[in-house]
Amino acid sequence: MQTISISASERAPEVEFNFAEGVLKLKGESYPEDVASFYGPLLTALDKWLSGLEAEASVRLDIELVYFNSSSAKALMNLLLMLEKAGGAGKKVEVNWYFNSDDDTMQEFGEDFSEDLEHVQFNLCAVEGA
Amino acid sequence: MGRMLLKDGGRYMGKLAEDYLSFKKVLEQKGIIFSFSGYVSEGILFALGDALKQKMALEDTDMNTTRKVFSVFVEQVQNIIRYSAERVTGDIGKPVELSSGMIAVGQEAGKFFVVCANIVKLADMERLKERLDHIKSLDKEGIKAFYKEKLREDPEVESKGASIGLIEIARRASDPIDFDFMSVSDSTAFFCLKAFI
Repeated sequence: MQTISISASERAPEVEFNFAEGVLKLKGESYPEDVASFYGPLLTALDKWLSGLEAEASVRLDIELVYFNSSSAKALMNLLLMLEKAGGAGKKVEVNWYFNSDDDTMQEFGEDFSEDLEHVQFNLCAVEGA
Repeated sequence: MGRMLLKDGGRYMGKLAEDYLSFKKVLEQKGIIFSFSGYVSEGILFALGDALKQKMALEDTDMNTTRKVFSVFVEQVQNIIRYSAERVTGDIGKPVELSSGMIAVGQEAGKFFVVCANIVKLADMERLKERLDHIKSLDKEGIKAFYKEKLREDPEVESKGASIGLIEIARRASDPIDFDFMSVSDSTAFFCLKAFI
């Protein structure tokens, strides 16, 4: 599948879904005007790609968000649950959750999102002063 | 204009400045540093939010506090946009939907606060009140657990995600949220929500 590449806008994150490499990235701030129209196509593409993936494949998601609103949080959770399902089906799934080391909120969110994910290697990655 | 101004020791005695100065003073007495009243759009949300972040950065506000105030601000304004019962819709070459409400950010006793207010239908008031009473009854850990539960809930069950936005506000707040309703007609009430950060 072709790479999905979207530049960051004022309210939506940079997206780089490199399906050929199995590396997905979300970076920046996320409070788009219309969460469904922003994340809907991404989730659809991801679901389609995951369902056609060979059993032993590896997937890595790098989340480098500095802020997201509650509607984006739901979309992120749906994305993680898709990866959890893929992990349950035998894929090797890794999620790197990057946050600024002095940002309590994003650290806590990382902890929230990682709980209950059993088939995903979830790494909380503190980044020193950005 | 249309009214003669009397000059008294260099001071114009018009009513216009007096009216708006007293309005400004009422806001200042409440500690409000920033306010908006009227029709809100996502564009206004972005512009006000940006100014808010810049203002807090200029004052060297702690980054964690700035992030929390911003987060509460966004959720509060999006609640107005989605749920205010006072709204106009139309087509001006593109579909437009504007919702009316009030937004204020201020400082009181060393803490920031965000207040939002809008008209709600009486029919929706009970459900909103129940949700807020429930959130208010929870401690920090309870709020966190409730947030996680809502995060995993099927989106079909929820109406445009109201609850999770309210929980997010309570989660970022340093004190329990404060809210109030006042009946303004047979079918509507004025709803007010204040969160300290």
